[in-house]
Amino acid sequence: MSSSGNPSSSGGGGGPCGACKFLRRKCVAGCIFAPYFDSEQGAAHFAAVHKVFGASNVSKLLLHIPEHKRPDAVVSICFEAQARLRDPIYGCVSHIVSLQQQVVSLQTELSYLQAHLATLELPQPMAPVSSSGSLQALSITDLPTISPSLYDLSSFFEPVMSSTWAMQQQPRPSDHVFGVPSSSSIIGGGGELQALAREFIQGGQMPAQPSLGTGGSASTVIKRE
Amino acid sequence: MNPKRCAACKYLRRRCPKDCIFAPYFPPNDPAKFACIHRIYGAGNVSKMLQQLPDQTRAEAVESLCFEAKCRVDDPVYGCVGIIHLLQTQVQNAQNELAKTQAEVAVAQTRLSQTQNSDF
Repeated sequence: MSSSGNPSSSGGGGGPCGACKFLRRKCVAGCIFAPYFDSEQGAAHFAAVHKVFGASNVSKLLLHIPEHKRPDAVVSICFEAQARLRDPIYGCVSHIVSLQQQVVSLQTELSYLQAHLATLELPQPMAPVSSSGSLQALSITDLPTISPSLYDLSSFFEPVMSSTWAMQQQPRPSDHVFGVPSSSSIIGGGGELQALAREFIQGGQMPAQPSLGTGGSASTVIKRE
Repeated sequence: MNPKRCAACKYLRRRCPKDCIFAPYFPPNDPAKFACIHRIYGAGNVSKMLQQLPDQTRAEAVESLCFEAKCRVDDPVYGCVGIIHLLQTQVQNAQNELAKTQAEVAVAQTRLSQTQNSDF
């Protein structure tokens, strides 16, 4: 990827940047594209971006983004442009749908296994009472350790309802995908990821979190990150 | 000339020809849809993209473009790539959790069979 924060390709001294080379124009000092499209591979990347978005649209987009976020923006724009050229009908959306289906499938399988585990750990009628209590019912301490991941949160607080959620999350037609909430500065930090993850779950008709006595810690865990 | 202009031609303030490439996908009752797509891609680019596609695939292409444009408007830095990142994280976490649970099931099954054997 040619994006970088170094103004190595500025029009000041090192020749035109990849974007200006592609556009066959003079690369002026302070060219908005120069830090992100070098004169070698940058031109090829910019070609894709220009074909899908257009140079002026990308320029306007970058101008509205703080400078420290522009490298990330350029990377995501290049990714989307290349995905769109590879798949002119669906672009990145096909990737999103495929990932959603994977999540649903894994969640379904996990729900099944958790139910199976619960039946295995229920006390058996004929079994003798052992001192270790190894056949006691599933307790909260047996559940996976709290981790800041989205998936762990949902299975921790809704062990019964997670299977319902999984069943509801069947692959849907494209109009469901297009209803997915957008991300906002997701890769900025764990807290933002948590907020987006929670929004994503709620957008997927996730039932309201029941209070299991540890409900207070749910919000604590969410907010902790 | 189309007596009722499509949302695209209304937005662009031009007459809407009978064979307007946008008309089937941008009805006049939803002006925001075209506005969003125009903001990110521009009318010319969308028109070129649609012209390169067979008729029967254009509706899906418009919907996916609208989705990506909306994601980009909502999150100018990451657009829909942010959603992809989130989903990849979910998949990874789900796979880890699945592996963990499979191990727990194996342990529980072993414990159960040992208990049943000790009954005899």
